[in-house]
Order: sequence, then C-alpha cells, then structure tokens
Amino acid sequence: MVPSRNPHRKSGGVRRVVPFYRSGSAWAPSWWVRIVLMTTLTAGAAVDYVAEIKPVLRERCYACHGALKQKAKLRLDTVAGMRTGGDSGPAIRAGDAGSSRLVQRVETGDATDRMPPEHEGEVLSADQIARLRAWIDAGAEGPADEVPESDPKNHWAFRSPVRPSVPQVARPEWVRNPIDAFVARAHDQHGLTPRREASRRLLVRRVYVDLIGITPTPEELAAQDRDAGPGWYERLVARLLDDPRHGERWARHWMDIWRYSDWWGLGDQLRNSQRHIWRWRDWMVESLNADTPYDEMVRLMLAADEVHPNDPEKLRATGYLARNYFLFNRNQWMDEVVEHVGKGFLGLTLNCSKCHDHKYDPVPQVDYYRMRAFFEPYHVRLDMVPGESDLNRDGMPCAFDGQTNTPTYRFVRGLETQPDKSAVIAPGIPNILAFQEPAIQPVSLPVEAWQPERRPWVFEAYRASARARVESVEKAATEARAKRAETLGRRGESAAMAEAEAALAVAEQDLAWARAESTSLEHRMAATRVSWRVTDCAGASPEIRADAIDRERNLARQATRAEQEAAVARARHGLAAAQWRWLKAADDKKSAVRAEVDKARETLDKAVAVASAALPLDGMKSASLTGAAWTPTRFFDSTKDDPRVEFAPTSTGRRKALAAWITDARHPLTARVGVNHLWNRHMGMPLVATVFDFGRKGAAPTNPELLDWLACEWVESGWSMKHLHRLIVTSATYRMDSGVEEGDANLAKDPDNRYLWRRQPLRLEAQVVRDAILAQAGELDPTRGGPSVPLSEQAESKRRSLYFVHSNNERNLFLTTFDDATVKECYRREQSIVPQQALALSNSRLVHDAAGRIVTRLERSLSEKTAGTSVEDASFVRQAFRVLLGFEPGAGEMAASLRALAAWRSLPKRPDDATAGVEGEPRAGLVWALLNHNDFVTLR
Amino acid sequence: MKPMMRFTRSGAQAADGLPMRRRAFLADLGMGFTGLALGAMLQRDAQAALASAWTPPDGRPHFAPKAKSVIWLFMNGGVSHMESFDPKPMLTKYAGKTIAETPFASVQDPKKLAIERLVVPDANGNQRNTLYPLQVGFRKHGQSGIEVSDWFPHIARNVDRLAVVRSLWTTDSNHGAQTQFHSGRHQNDGDFPNLGAWVHYGLGTLNENLPQFISMGTREYWNKRDGHYLGPAHDAVPLRIDPARPLDFGKPERPFSVESQAVGMGLLRELNALRGVEYPDDAGMAARVASYELAFRMQRSVPDVVDFSKETDETKRLYGLEVPACREFGMQLLAARRFVERGVRFIQVQHGGGGAGAWDAHSGLKANHAGLALAVDQPVAGLLEDLDRRGLLDETLVIFATEFGRTPGSQGSDGRDHHIFGFSVWMAGGGLKRGVVHGATDEIGFHAAENRHYVTDIHATILQQLGLDSRRLEIPGRKRLEIDHGKPIAEIVA
Repeated sequence: MVPSRNPHRKSGGVRRVVPFYRSGSAWAPSWWVRIVLMTTLTAGAAVDYVAEIKPVLRERCYACHGALKQKAKLRLDTVAGMRTGGDSGPAIRAGDAGSSRLVQRVETGDATDRMPPEHEGEVLSADQIARLRAWIDAGAEGPADEVPESDPKNHWAFRSPVRPSVPQVARPEWVRNPIDAFVARAHDQHGLTPRREASRRLLVRRVYVDLIGITPTPEELAAQDRDAGPGWYERLVARLLDDPRHGERWARHWMDIWRYSDWWGLGDQLRNSQRHIWRWRDWMVESLNADTPYDEMVRLMLAADEVHPNDPEKLRATGYLARNYFLFNRNQWMDEVVEHVGKGFLGLTLNCSKCHDHKYDPVPQVDYYRMRAFFEPYHVRLDMVPGESDLNRDGMPCAFDGQTNTPTYRFVRGLETQPDKSAVIAPGIPNILAFQEPAIQPVSLPVEAWQPERRPWVFEAYRASARARVESVEKAATEARAKRAETLGRRGESAAMAEAEAALAVAEQDLAWARAESTSLEHRMAATRVSWRVTDCAGASPEIRADAIDRERNLARQATRAEQEAAVARARHGLAAAQWRWLKAADDKKSAVRAEVDKARETLDKAVAVASAALPLDGMKSASLTGAAWTPTRFFDSTKDDPRVEFAPTSTGRRKALAAWITDARHPLTARVGVNHLWNRHMGMPLVATVFDFGRKGAAPTNPELLDWLACEWVESGWSMKHLHRLIVTSATYRMDSGVEEGDANLAKDPDNRYLWRRQPLRLEAQVVRDAILAQAGELDPTRGGPSVPLSEQAESKRRSLYFVHSNNERNLFLTTFDDATVKECYRREQSIVPQQALALSNSRLVHDAAGRIVTRLERSLSEKTAGTSVEDASFVRQAFRVLLGFEPGAGEMAASLRALAAWRSLPKRPDDATAGVEGEPRAGLVWALLNHNDFVTLR
Repeated sequence: MKPMMRFTRSGAQAADGLPMRRRAFLADLGMGFTGLALGAMLQRDAQAALASAWTPPDGRPHFAPKAKSVIWLFMNGGVSHMESFDPKPMLTKYAGKTIAETPFASVQDPKKLAIERLVVPDANGNQRNTLYPLQVGFRKHGQSGIEVSDWFPHIARNVDRLAVVRSLWTTDSNHGAQTQFHSGRHQNDGDFPNLGAWVHYGLGTLNENLPQFISMGTREYWNKRDGHYLGPAHDAVPLRIDPARPLDFGKPERPFSVESQAVGMGLLRELNALRGVEYPDDAGMAARVASYELAFRMQRSVPDVVDFSKETDETKRLYGLEVPACREFGMQLLAARRFVERGVRFIQVQHGGGGAGAWDAHSGLKANHAGLALAVDQPVAGLLEDLDRRGLLDETLVIFATEFGRTPGSQGSDGRDHHIFGFSVWMAGGGLKRGVVHGATDEIGFHAAENRHYVTDIHATILQQLGLDSRRLEIPGRKRLEIDHGKPIAEIVA
C-alpha cells in the first residue's frame, strides 16, 4: 500500500455540499480512516511503536537524526539506533523513560537544550511525550526487522534513469508499442485486465481535444469517416500533430506550468510581469509547432540572452524570466524564480530550504541561495520591435544581466532583514545533483545586445513614427488651409476669418515642428552612427580614429543645433496654440489666457536665444536614441524609480551554465519531470502524483520503469515532444475505453486505476470548453498570436481562449468558473464540479448564442448528404449526439430527445419569443441540452 | 444532517470517506462507523493505516459546536482603533509632542518594532512620531461600561453584546495585511487559504439550496480567491444584492422561458441518467448531475434571499435602509441575516472600496472615519439586534474586523498611518461572553500590551466555536505552522 500522499498541492477530495471531484482525489486511498488519537493515555495501555512513536520521530527528528543528517552522530530512525545512541551515549534506556536522554531533551523547559531546537520544529505535545515515555517504560520494543532510512543519494529520482528493457508480457497481442509493455506488466502483476479499445467516434473526439484542443466539427468528422482504412488512427494523429492548432493547445499546458501571466498592477501602474509578454506565449506556440526540442526550449527560457543574444525570435523565450518581475521587492521576485525553476523543471521543492535546511531532501539552506545567485544579476527590459518606437504600444520583454556585482547573501532563517554578510554566496547546485559542476564563463555580448539602438529596425521605427507624424499634421494643415479659403470667400465674417487664420497658424506651426523634429532625428541618427564608428574603430590606426572622432564632434554639434531648432519650432507652435485659445476664450477668461500667451512667447524667446548662440566646438552630445528600455524597479522607495540599470557588454554566463546543467542528458530529474508533465496531460493522471516534488517526500512513481523508459526515449529522440505525443497517443494504453462494467473485477483490485487498466475520463479544461463551443458554432476566430485580448473585449471576442488577458487581477469569469489556471502556480489543473459551472453553461450568452448557430451547421452537414431536402428530427438528433458528444444515441436517448422536441413545439408561442436561439427553435433547445450534457465537458 | 456524498475519480464516497461499496459492505455487517470498529479494521494493517491516517473532512464538526454560522465584517483599509473601540485620552493630553518627549518613549524600542515585515519601503507604513489627538469623543456604554467612540452610537448601544479584543497585532505594514488577516500569512509567504475557505472545507451544508460560503461587498485590493491550495471549490461565491442579478450567470442571458427551461432540464436529466447506466462507476457524472440540481435550486433560492419585499418596514429601518449612507451596507447585512436563517455557514462582507480600502485615512481622518462609521454603524447594530431578537445571535458569530489599526502619531497634518503593533476587533454571539473587553494596548494605543493576540487567534476562536480543530483539517504536504493555527481566546468564550 502506497502511503496517502499529497498528489500535488491539494490532496484529497472534498465532500458533499458542492458535489465536487478533482484530480487530486485519484491518489487519496480514500478508504483509510483517520485514527482518532485519544487525548489521554490510559495507564497500562500498550503503545505501538510503529503506529504511534515512529511517525512522531519521523516528523520531528529524522531531518537531523536520520539518513539526511546524523547530528551528534545520533540516529533515531531505528530502535537499535536509539539504543546505540550518539556522542552523548544511548538515547533511550529501555524500561526507564526518566533517565532516557531522548525523553529529557524533548521535555525540558530549557529552550536552549530542548529538541527539536528553536526554529527547527515544533516541540512535542504532552500527549506525544506521554506515549514516548510509556513506550520506553514498557521496554522500548520495536520490530525485529526494522531498517534504517536509506541513503538520500539512493533516492530513485536522484539517480540518472537507465533505459529499462521492454518486458515480455502475458498478452503481447495487446501491446502496440513499448509503453503498453510496461503497462501490461503492471496489469499482469496486479491481476488486471485492460479495457477494450474505445469506439472510433470517442477516439476521434479524444485525440482532437488532446492534440489540438477543440472538438471535431461535422466537416472534420465527415472527412474522418471517409478514411476508414487500416492506419486511419495513425494518419489522424499525424495530421493533428502537424496542425498549427496543436501548438496553441499545448502552449496553454506549458503556460500553466511556466506561469504565463499578462502584466498586472494597481490601475495603470505595472507591478508584476511585463507589457507585451504575449510574445513569449507566441514563442511557445511556434516552438511547439516546430517541435523545438524541450531542452532547447528550457535553455532559451533561462538564457536566450546569453546563448542567442542577437536573435529576437529566440529572445522572446526569456519572457519566462521577465514574467517574474515584481516592482517592489527583489526578494519576492527571486523567491518566485528559485521556487519555480525548482518545481517546474526539476521537481525539487527548493523553496523548502529558504529558511532552513530541507527537512526531507539533501538540500541545505545555502543551496537555496546558491541557486538564487544564478539569477541575482538578471533584470528585465523592453526591446524595440520593428515598426514601433513607443515601447508602451509594443516591444519585446526580455532578460539581461544588469547588476553583475550584486552579492547574494544567505538570509538567516529566511528573513530578508537578516542577510548573513559574512560570506557572499556563489552560484552553485545541490551536491546531490552535481554530476557536473556548472562551468560559468562570462559571455561577451555582440554590440547590438547592449546597444540595441544599433539594430537596423530601431532607426527605421523612429523614422517611421516621425514620418507618420508629419503626414498626419500635413493633413490637418491642408484642412485648415481649405477652411481658411472657404471663410475668405464670405462677407462680413471677420471673427470667423480671424479664427480660421489662427487655426491655420496652429496647424502650420505644428507641421513646421513635426518637420523640425524629423530633421533633428536624422541628425541625431547620423551622429549616433558616427559615435558607433568611434567605438568600433578603437583598434584602428590613429588617423582613422582621429577622423572618426572629428566627424563625431561635427555631427554632434549639428544634431544639437537641430534639436535646438526643433525646440524653437515647438515653442512657435506653443505660442500659436495659446493665441488661438485666447481668441476662442470668453471675454472674462481672456486675461487669464493672455498670461499663457505671454508665457509661450517667453519660452519662444528663450528657445530662439539658445538656437542662435554659438555652439562650443567640443563636448556636445545630442539626446541619445535608445533601442530598449530597462523596466524600472522601486525596491528602495515605492514612489520613485531606482537608479537605472545599464546594459553591459558582458553577461555573467551564470544562467547559461545553469541551463546547460538542467538540460544535460545525465540530469536525473529534468527528463523525468518533463515526461511526467506530458503524460499527465495526455492521460489525466501523472506517473508521479507529486508533479513538482520528486524528492523524498514526493510520491513514488506508479510505474517506475515506464517513467524511466519514457525519459530515456525522450532524451535519445533529441527531446522531441511530438515524438512522445505520438508514442503516447498511439499506444493501446491511451486508446482504452473509460467505462467500467458493473462488477468489474479490476475495480476491486485497483479502484483508483493506478495501474491504468482503463482510460481516465477527464473534465475538459476551461479553455477547451469555451473554444469547443465556439468551434461548433463555426465562430472560432482562427487568428493566431498577437497581443492578448483585454478583459473588456473578451465577451465579444471569438479568439481562442489562450489569447485572453490572463493575470492575477484580470481573469475571464467563464474560464475561471471552469478552474482556469491560477497564475501564481498551476502544475495541475483542478477538475472541480461546482454548481457555478452548471449556471455558466445553462445561462451564458456564449452557450445560448452558439446553440442556434450549431443547429444551422448540423442541419447543413446533413442536408448536404440528403441533397438539400429538409432534415428529419431523428437524423438531426443522431448527428447532434455524434458531433457534440461523440457517441450514437441509444433508443432511450433518441426517444427522450424526440419527446423533448415535441414538448418544446407544443409550448404556446409568445410574442416576445425570439425566433432563433433556444427559446424560438426547439432544435436549439436540444443542442442546449447536449452542451450541458455531462459528456460534452467530459473527455471519455 | 443526512449523510453527505463526496466524489472522487474512483468512486462515490459517503461522508465518512469510505467508498460506497465498502460502506454497503459494512452496513450489511451491521457495523457502525464508530472509532472502535474502524480501529479494529486498521489494526490489521497498522503500517498501511499509519501511512494514510489522513482522510478529507467528513463535513461534521470535530466536537460539539457552539455556533453554526459566521458573519465576517471586514473594514478595508484599517480602522483607527483609538477612535473606535480603544479610546486613548493620552493622545489628546500629549498631542503635538513627539513620542520621545512623552513618558511612553519606550514603545519605539527597536526590539519591540521588529515584528514588522516590510514588503516595500513606502511613503506609508512608517513610524509617526508626533502624537495626534483623538478626533472624536468617547463615553462608556451599557452595563459593562465599555468605552466606544461617538462615531459608533448604534454599536455602542449594543456594547453589552460584544466581546471586544483590544490587543491584536499583525506584521505586514502594507495592505497585504488584508490578506494576512484572512489567511494568517504575510503577503511575502505566498497564498494560503482564508478562514472562510477552511470553514467551507471543514463543515457540511445546512441548506442544500444555497452556497455555503458567500462574499459580498468590495474586495478589489486583496486577493479575490479564498480556497488557494484547498481548491477553487472553496472560494466564496460572490454575490450582489440585486434580486435580478445576484449571482454570476444566475439567470439566462437570452430568452428562456420557465416552461422551455423545464423541458430542457427534464431532457438533460434523462440523458445524463441514461448515460449513467453505461458508466455506472462514473463519480464525475453523478457529481455533475447533482451540481445541476443545486444550480437549478440556487437559481431560485438566491434571488429569493436577496428579495426583501417580505421584510417589515421596521426591520428595514433597523438596518438603516432608509438612510442613503447606510443603505448599501445595510442591505448586505440584512441579506446576511437572511442567509444565516437559511443555514449558510460563512458570510463575508467587505466594506469600503477604492484605493487600498476606504478606511485608509492617511489624511483627513476625521471626515473619513466619521463618514464611514455613519455608513456601517446603524446596519451593524441593526444586525446584532435583529439576530438577537430572532434567537439567532447565540448560534451566529459576528465579527467586526480590519487589517490593522492606525498610528497614534499623525501623518501629514490630519491623518494616521498604518499601524500593525496593536489594534482592535470585536466579536459577538456564537457562544462568546457578552459585554467584555479582553486585552489592552499601552496608554497611547501603540503596542498590544496585555494578552497579545496574533490575527490567527481570532481564526482559532471562531473555529473552536464552530466545533472545528484546524489541526485536523490540515492536508498532507501542506504543513501548517503553530502560528497559522493560532490559539482560541479562552477568556472571551462563555
């Protein structure tokens, strides 16, 4: 019996009130009942060591006196160890609790002497001590065959997987590929019989949802019906894996695990994540469609700026790091990075060692900070993208090493107010996983990476926006001229004339200003280009250098002058605008506006003075043009930005080294953790229930050989995800039916289906529910990628749900109802069943509007077959069941549906009834019922 | 309470955690579910039992409860404790002096200030050194003679119903303390389940037509979720006092007559039942069918609860519904009483939206608190009186809370800053003593000085009154700390 473990963070089901069902429950051996501890220990009652003493010691003592550590050379994980004792002699004296050191140390009132020590664990309760005493007094008996805890080094997940040989099994005919052989062996071992293969219709629905995230439309089903020959399933799988919608489907899975979040904050203030982070999402979609190897994806997310610093397509991947940006607190930011690099890639709960040594895994506290040190230098910036110079409108968030000298300190008991400044912590990995120390080599970056203004599209973008501005004000000036000409033709309209003249003056000055800015921009670009030459020819001959420096000086002067002239033009525009306001002002306001006019004139005079003064020969520097902007932080004062973090020509290489270690084929965790994520999303239950904890406290794999075989197969395939998808979905294991016969013998042997004798039925994820409804209505907008759809537009939007803004603060109500991912942590989706879901499906506009459209599409798909004649109810019902639910209606279902159609038709028509939709169209009522049917939201 | 069902992937289970087949088997043998019988079973495989000595809660209290429901009133932003339920005349006496110049200089001993955990260095949440006088008078009320500020005359009238705790402290000097008050954890520790979610997780339903955990009012600033690692099923159901639209998706968004709906629901029931024959072991199917039935009932019962047409004018006046300033909060509290009457377990009402919470009086405290007190005072008093005269106060715990107090010193010319070191909440009903004060701050209201209580002591007190032991709700792999559990405040329990 495997212990009841927390499958992921939420173990166990919830009862009754809101009937509720969720992924976690699968692992809770539900039939064990809480042992109700008696509050008082009756004299003479025998205390059972295994049931009552050992669990307490395991919880409170083993971390320091077990396999992980042997403080004072003492081990308490066996009775023998206690009798032998450590540096202070035996821990227990059988028959004499009072003189046993163990008892003395746990019950002393002296906090300095008491075990567990302060901050290391709770003291034992009086009841626990009483039991401990009673057990020792009774002779301290333990089981004869008691084994000490095994060495943490031997923990299965800390040893590299070795590809197991594929077993021979009792029913080889069932085996389609090696996956099945491992599953079949478990069947043999536990006396289980695999379920039959699911029906063709169910399989088609299953594999559509699994691989592309929507249910097949009538047209797709018809096409599928035409391909009935052998190998149809494999052909379907191949087609779906090549379908670009596959990337959208699986990107959403990885967005859960990698914690995708659009930016959020307070009002307009960005506090978390980054603007334009959707570029990282698009990178995921594209990479998955291109079958980019998993190791490469991990490498890019952690260190694309060091591995491919000049490849904007790949730099998008560092959105993974940019997402952790937190305006106010660096420690919280770093904590999230370390925690989720640990949980997401490594299945290690590194976060447990933030405050103290890990209680279960060989990860001392300092390792937490060693891991943090890999990330300590990184900051976040927005890089300019082609065609847009305003970073608020568009840009690419990415990571870069900024503060390369910031030291990492260990925080005493995890308290950020108590850094231990006696030692700077260097980047490093837990010893237990040091098959190779990461070799950290600084990376010299190409100049475009740290002077992003050199990227060719940057100047283009500036120029394009300057040009766009000139064009727009030119248009305004033309209109103003026409207005003036029109007014000129009329008589006795001197006021109107004056106004038209003034308005024209504003427009003309605006145009002059825009042109002056454009000219200034050209000069600044020329000056900037020459300044690069000066940098670039540092090693060239003195003549070349002198020439470059001379040209730089000249161009800088010209650029400065052009800027000054633009300032004059701007001031002229300011004056014209003020004069126009004066003209328009009511009489009682004129004097106030007069002051504005005077002020504008003063500004102009000053600008003219500056622009006509002689320029010094040297030391001129025009405003620089940037190609990227550091995202400011406010760690030190929430009301103003911290000092700017500059872009440096060298990156520390720390993250590159970390990524190389994580993606090393020898790493015992990376492939197993990744493959477990994939398996979980195909099968609805992972092989290791604790998907983010493969440590000693995590669950054991239900089929360890299968896990290791898959991990090795994956690595050897070049970490191809599509290879694994194909293997898994074409296995007999995957293709089983999810049903159970009454009195099925398997149920008694393995009620939780741990050994996969049948398919696990799944609740569709939130996104699939919505996308499938829209797809069936023929309304799903196939546009791929781009900025996230804001909350305010989501009600009308027909885009796929993964494109919706999704952050801690902004969540779509419909999706949230169906357990949408929480952005802070979502290694497994919940699969709750709550009444709010019933309300959303039965009442939402989404479903009601779709129902009518689905009727039309179903009828059309049928009338194509019946050459345009009207569709009989019975064939409509049959088609609706097939398409929406994936099965043929039985006689009972057909009869009930026909009865309902008749009942709806017999209802009296009311004048306010809509003619389409659920109220006006009985068949839409039927579709409504099927969309609310359990099997619509269930993947059987 | 009839046996309740829960659903796992592997099979329906009765509330006691046994799968139905096994349960039926036990029933056949005439065995009850006493600890004895189960203990005997477990003895056979002690090792296995030990490893899995955990089961989800069965919906029944762990021991005899004193209260059935909780009405949790939360003032967003931070109510000044000195100007509500913990008046400090010394502030007026030493007004304008720095704390260092008063006999109370020791309150700023850095050691005493060390409990604060900073999220961000900020213009707010700082030490304020110049004492700011009380902005309102106060007087003794009732037989208990408890002092209450003049901004709360109606609550003051009820003071003999209250157990006032004047010695709370917390650690987050920013408004993350709102979350902290509900979960017990500082913002930097991550997200943890809120008290209401624990209650929802631990206790079964008393009314199968209504959600068991409801949230009303504004909750813009602090975390909108409650369940966190307990799962979204334990989030509060947000509710509006609008009979036409009290629930999200609470009624069809397109025309769907009652008659048409009845045909549709009938068909749906039939189709699901037929499918259930094919998949007899599918707990998810059974759960979904049940969820539709509950949704269908909620759709009718929730609007009914927020429809006040059957309440008398006298009752409406009691809650201040005719006073424009009180109307919104008053309606929420009247609805809260109606939910309690119908057995809803936990009703959370947040007051004061905007910014980090309306009560956040960094400036203009006098006008701010006077106005907000006006909006809540009469409704809260009405709630207490209404519950009491209906005999509901004994089994309903009302709590009036806020995330922290405000500084004894002034911020700017006329405000007070966030203050974590000492503040007040009060509770009423649910088996607590009536007309008592517990704990005290020092003479300027700086530190909780006597009987100090971290915020989770409030949680522990409430859970104890509901008959729950938070340690027995703990989930494997989610170790909770001592401080998360808190200790019940025994002195205020009747």
